[in-house]
Amino acid sequence: MRASLDSYRLLLLWQFRRYRQLFVMTVVIQVVLGMGIVYGLAFLIPNIDPRTALFLSTGAPTLALLILGLSVVPQEVAQDRLTGAHDYVATLPVPRLAALSANLTYWLAIQIPGTILAIVVASARFHFGLHVSSLVVPAFLLVAMTGAAVGYAMASVLRPEVTSIVSSFVSVFILLFSPLDFPLSRLPSFLQVIHRILPVKYMADLIRWSLTGRFVASPGLAFAVVGLWCVACLGVTYRVATRRR
Amino acid sequence: MILQVERLAKVYPGGVRANEDISLHVDRGEVFGLLGPNGAGKTTLVSQVLGLAKPTSGTIHIDGVDVVQRPAVARRACSYQPQSSVPIRGLTPLQAIELVGRIRRLDRQEARRRTIELLETLELTEWSSKVVTELSGGVTRLVAFCMSAVAPGRIVILDEPTNDVDPLRRKLLWREVRALADAGSAVVLVTHNVLEAERCVDRLAIVDHGTVVAEGTPAALKSAFGGALRLEVVLDPTAAAPAAPAFLASPTRAGRRLIGDVGAADLMVAVAWAKELQRRGTIEEFSIGPATLEDVYVRRVGPEPEREDTGASVAG
Repeated sequence: MRASLDSYRLLLLWQFRRYRQLFVMTVVIQVVLGMGIVYGLAFLIPNIDPRTALFLSTGAPTLALLILGLSVVPQEVAQDRLTGAHDYVATLPVPRLAALSANLTYWLAIQIPGTILAIVVASARFHFGLHVSSLVVPAFLLVAMTGAAVGYAMASVLRPEVTSIVSSFVSVFILLFSPLDFPLSRLPSFLQVIHRILPVKYMADLIRWSLTGRFVASPGLAFAVVGLWCVACLGVTYRVATRRR
Repeated sequence: MILQVERLAKVYPGGVRANEDISLHVDRGEVFGLLGPNGAGKTTLVSQVLGLAKPTSGTIHIDGVDVVQRPAVARRACSYQPQSSVPIRGLTPLQAIELVGRIRRLDRQEARRRTIELLETLELTEWSSKVVTELSGGVTRLVAFCMSAVAPGRIVILDEPTNDVDPLRRKLLWREVRALADAGSAVVLVTHNVLEAERCVDRLAIVDHGTVVAEGTPAALKSAFGGALRLEVVLDPTAAAPAAPAFLASPTRAGRRLIGDVGAADLMVAVAWAKELQRRGTIEEFSIGPATLEDVYVRRVGPEPEREDTGASVAG
């Protein structure tokens, strides 16, 4: 156990040093992205009322988390697979779980500051107050972890050459056709069915509920669905990481 | 014996055969060369030893442990320098080497001491605190070598360690490779560079089409030539190529070069023949000397058409 923790700590240090030139830039992009979504979507709706502003602002962090998790993470993982970096780490005498955990921790650390800042800025812009739940930390961690885990699983299963195309497509699909910044009922019925299975709506529900205590009928269901997706994606990633060619 | 590979085969889905039937062993304190052309199956063999690829059949034992069944043992036993890049773009050489040392269970002080020792030995100290992205390919390659040598495993696997490295530091690198073996590791050196391998390895295997086509010490492999001398002439591209003389055994044509074996008794005849061709301008230059490992290599893995169509005539 001690050895596994040491491996995790050293690999995390490696990951931070490796991306240190990109770290600040990625955090800044996350902040700008989060704020941009809030401000940008507000242009679509003139004379925005406080309730809509709150709905938009609490959907923005989920969107920013998903774009990072489903676009940046898979592309970085695919790049590592193409350059041989992925295989190199696999030859080190460390538990595969330690390597995976170190990478996920890095992506979580990158996501959190931007997400929080975006919400604070939006709250100041639209003058609404937040009613933060005591479960806000697990809710954010679970959503951020699930976003990264889905991205990881995608990059693990797909060929590295096609990962970039698929992840771009998924990001656009989520941006346009996911009930993050509008209610599920506005979507065509087949998309409603799809979104009752996909984790996207439930991720938005969790964030929204943990910040406002409103808009969401059953936070327990949201926790369960997102949790299941997280475990399933981590399972797939771990299975691929431990499978020999 | 540290590494023992028996009848290893790998068939990828779709029927692609990467190995056919590879058997070899590497002992403690030995530098073992793995030579062969691209696609011969060397990388697959290394992946199998490291536990990245699962053999279709055959066994791999490290210190008597079946690592096909227990790949985690292989990861602890092997330190590895890949031919591809290592993920160190934002790190300094000092940080990268020390981190691997600590991951391989050295304490902080020992990892630092050994890192500095390696950087000094390979004359890399001036770059030790520069970020890797600012370094040349050769220096980055040497850093990757240091990462495999900082806390060497029972087996150290080096895949083309001298690529992009300047000649002076190559010598330092080879000295360090020998030091790893002298300290008790079994060093497996994967390379295309036959001339370097001849000087540095204790034993070697030549792999082609997924199977070992020759194995032994460089001297033993060369002795298969029966003590014959090697004649090499460089043909003049503007003149008609000469017919192969009767004294020239196993003539091989490679581009503008004609290579063959000459028995000791025919030495003077061969020199006279080559001098005459040079005087006439049919050839540009010639050399004659003992067979090299490169001759063995070319003979074993040289392209089939060349081997076949040079037997009767060298014209064309």
